[in-house]
Amino acid sequence: MAPTKPAKGAKGKSGKGKSGGSSIRATKSKSAGSAPTGISKRKAKSMSLAKPGGAQRTKSATSEPQKKKKRKYSEKELGIPTLNGIVPAGVAKPKGQKIGKKFVDDPASLMAIMSVVNAEKEGHIESKIMKARHLEEIREAKKKEAEARSDEKKSKFEERKQDLKKKKNRHSEPGAEKAATEKTAKTGKSAKPLRKRVSFG
Amino acid sequence: MRPLTEPETKTLFEKLATYCGNGISNLITDAATGSERHVFRVQGSRVFYVRESLANLATSVKRDALLSLGVCLGKYTKTGKFRLHITALPVIAPFARYKVWIKPNGEMPYLYGGNVLKAHVGRWSEDCPEHQGVLVLSMNDTPLGFGVSARSTAEARKLDPTGIVTFRQADIGEYLREEDTLFTT
Repeated sequence: MAPTKPAKGAKGKSGKGKSGGSSIRATKSKSAGSAPTGISKRKAKSMSLAKPGGAQRTKSATSEPQKKKKRKYSEKELGIPTLNGIVPAGVAKPKGQKIGKKFVDDPASLMAIMSVVNAEKEGHIESKIMKARHLEEIREAKKKEAEARSDEKKSKFEERKQDLKKKKNRHSEPGAEKAATEKTAKTGKSAKPLRKRVSFG
Repeated sequence: MRPLTEPETKTLFEKLATYCGNGISNLITDAATGSERHVFRVQGSRVFYVRESLANLATSVKRDALLSLGVCLGKYTKTGKFRLHITALPVIAPFARYKVWIKPNGEMPYLYGGNVLKAHVGRWSEDCPEHQGVLVLSMNDTPLGFGVSARSTAEARKLDPTGIVTFRQADIGEYLREEDTLFTT
């Protein structure tokens, strides 16, 4: 029965007959060669067993009543201790919840998100403004310090200038000149140093 | 077309908050628009601010056939950030927190895609920190675009006239410059 079935399929339109067709081709080639024309029943059976389609079906049909439906035991029947029955809170998902994206469309939840975002942004802006002010203060302080330093430098410079001026004045004071003339009078020499004179005959 | 998910809403609001501050609440509650409720909808990667009745009607149009509806606020980038488009200007302009008004001589350079220079600034909002969203207006209060402040107001005062005060993000010149890509999906 098995070898005839695929041959039928090959003749017909069904796509099932692909393997059957090949078997026909095989038998034909065998018949063309020196091989015996008929196939022994035993061989045919073994061939059909090798095929995925044919005899397996009958086999399964025979094996079905042999398979016993496994009984499923409930947990109570098995008597498993309930210690390991805890499901962690993060793992357990409540039933009947929406799968996939959760849309936010109602004004209340939108407002909630907005308030969170706004609070964050406000915080950022505040910190930015505070930082800017702080930096500005530091800059002002530095500027003042630099100004004070330059003022001090200037005043020192002025002082020194005045000092120098005073010194100059002291040298050119009339009292000082008088003292110098007195000195020369005492020595009996003029203020001018003596010039060397050279005479030629 | 679908409503926004929670993280999407958060990124959108974060972006809007840089320009509007607390003003976003007006967009949600529709205090400004008055009669009808407006909603945010995402189509592809673009976010639209739509009248709710229109959004409901639009469900009858199949996804790939729907090009645009309502006002396009911007789009989500592939990295998940949100990029505001110039089309969002009429939505954010009434609620903007920090503003810069530019003189008529600075309008053209700005509308051609330039940054705002100090020499072009007519006036600015006080106490504006650095890198904060700023709305750019002409001296007669016409919104021209938006940008990000380059310096805080205090620092900008000390800046030389050619220094940049606001970095451009979008300007209404884009309606012409980006004409062929602005509304494509």
